[in-house]
Amino acid sequence: MSIEIDAFTRVEGNGGAEIIIEDGEVKEVRVKIFEGPRFFEILTLGRHYYDVPDLEARICAICYLSHSVASVLGIERAFGVEVPKEIMLLRELGLIGEFIESHALHLYLLVAPDLFGYADAIRMASKHGEVVNEGLTIKAFGNYIREVIGGREIHGINVKPGGFGRYPSIEELEKIEKNSEALIKFAKRAVGIFASQEPFGAKAEHYIATNDYLYGNKLIACDKESFDYFEHIEEKSLPYSFAKQSRYKDKIFMVGSLPRVMLKAEKLTPLAKRLFEEYKERLSKGYVSLNNLAQAIELVYGLERASEIAKELLDKGVEGENISVEPQEGEGIGYVEAPRGVLVHHYRIDEKGNIAYSNIITPTAFNHALMELSLYEEAKRHYGTLDEKTLIQKLEETVRAFDPCISCSVHLVKL
Amino acid sequence: MLKLGVFELTDCGGCALNILFLYEKLFDVLKFYEIKEFHMASSFKEHDHLDVAIVTGTVSTQRDLALLKHARNHSKYLIALGTCATHGDVQGSVEGKIREKLEKVYGTKANPMKALDSKPIVEYVAVDYALPGCPYDKDEIYQVLMNIAKGVEPPKKDYPVCIECKLNEYECILVKREIPCLGPITLGGCDAICIKSGIGCIGCRGPLPKEANPAGEFEILKELGYDEEYIRRKFKTFARGELRW
Ligand code: SF4
Ligand code: SF4
Repeated sequence: MSIEIDAFTRVEGNGGAEIIIEDGEVKEVRVKIFEGPRFFEILTLGRHYYDVPDLEARICAICYLSHSVASVLGIERAFGVEVPKEIMLLRELGLIGEFIESHALHLYLLVAPDLFGYADAIRMASKHGEVVNEGLTIKAFGNYIREVIGGREIHGINVKPGGFGRYPSIEELEKIEKNSEALIKFAKRAVGIFASQEPFGAKAEHYIATNDYLYGNKLIACDKESFDYFEHIEEKSLPYSFAKQSRYKDKIFMVGSLPRVMLKAEKLTPLAKRLFEEYKERLSKGYVSLNNLAQAIELVYGLERASEIAKELLDKGVEGENISVEPQEGEGIGYVEAPRGVLVHHYRIDEKGNIAYSNIITPTAFNHALMELSLYEEAKRHYGTLDEKTLIQKLEETVRAFDPCISCSVHLVKL
Repeated sequence: MLKLGVFELTDCGGCALNILFLYEKLFDVLKFYEIKEFHMASSFKEHDHLDVAIVTGTVSTQRDLALLKHARNHSKYLIALGTCATHGDVQGSVEGKIREKLEKVYGTKANPMKALDSKPIVEYVAVDYALPGCPYDKDEIYQVLMNIAKGVEPPKKDYPVCIECKLNEYECILVKREIPCLGPITLGGCDAICIKSGIGCIGCRGPLPKEANPAGEFEILKELGYDEEYIRRKFKTFARGELRW
């Protein structure tokens, strides 16, 4: 016998799960990602490097900038190009805009309805309009940053190897500085709301993140030793899912907000760090649902950091000069923290600048195994005590905590 | 109240997400429509009868196809939204047979999840309105939904991106900077957003119907020194090679 969740709702993309019951007990859970494959690695093969970040952006709308930035970093490393600090700061600002947009979407529109007992945020808005509005305001601000840095809200084309198509104006940077400071009070309230959520899901035993807060040149795990993804992470295909699963030294692990705040708390901005300290004990329990609280803390971090970066650039002035990029044969990996966790873009490029090999691993694929384990533990905990509808609701909440991005997860190349 | 369903097939999620990015305008739309299906945004589901079904994404699995047929059979008005739905977008342009592609990516030809070669939905069902763009301009879907609610036939666009580029008084980067720009053969409606960033149009709204002159564009790019394979791939990125020359 089995219970089917035919489609997870309030998540990005199409996926479901099968809970297999034998002799009145939960035997196994399979997370089925049935969103069709999109074959991005085949798509980029043979393509000129300049066009690739725009193509990769299409992997996912919620985190298109993470994909274009990871792609650009991989390409620049392959060519041995180093860009000046302002360009890196602007990229970081773009990634922050994406964090703000994506975390706000997830917390206010997708998870909050569970906490307040509604089917969606639109229905929730009639009673809790102020919460929904605060969320939408933060989200719109995140999108504003994405538009300024990326060129448009979704699938911008402005992030290029060597720099940008267009640089932000003084007015745009001033607006970012001013608005981010003003929105921090909303984000602080979100921390309060999500701190009240009862923990659920499996306990993550291992965390992985990039070595800097929003991007890096290596990965780190709990022991803080840096490594490249292919050294310790292995992927395998499954017969029931278009997304693969990964293991770190044969173990199930987690990427995302919770791993980031736990592994890199010292890099947080002042207020975010204080909030982290306040909830540290709770967070260190490791339940995957605590990812929601960690995301709320990261909203505060994102807003503080956006204002810091805007201020720094305004003080120094943005030169707005691209670095010239000369194609040469090479190999490079871009590691970025997408809102949902570590994202890897790995390329080999030929001397003409065409892509000869590409591999992409997305956060949802990294988290796939832990998601399955969480559903298994939750199903075991509640099967027999809850009716099927409530059980499915509970299980969906567990999936939501990962903030999975299914579109991202379905185009992985064989290693 | 009209009944609205949003169905998402295989895609990046952007076209469904862009509906939420309407912000306050979404609340205007909700004065006329009740959302009966929108799995990205709601756990509510009731789609036996709909006035308007919006479908995003490509048909890339048997499941997508069944969902599309369901949406078509249960709605009065079906909108194909976004370049995935109207032209196949990037996944539609990946060449080769499905089993070969599966083997390259998953290491096996087996196809237990019933993947299909990605195609736009317009190749499977009749649609009442097709709105391209990767993603589409969100004001366009707003206008279309409001028009339908008021019983007005939504207008259709039929001019190239170049027109919007000229209206914005952007300098022509194809002519001035010799950067490949697909503006002349791409359907307008994005307000020449790529050119605003100083970057050539990448063609994400699909080819201009009828009057496009891809042969002319092909010659221009060749004269600028771009090789044929490069141009061919650029042309078909969003539109399954439909642009011939
Ligand atoms: S048309 Fe573009 S934005 Fe829309 S779903 Fe497809 S890939 Fe995403
Ligand atoms: S070719 Fe490109 S840059 Fe030139 S007018 Fe047309 S859209 Fe504008």
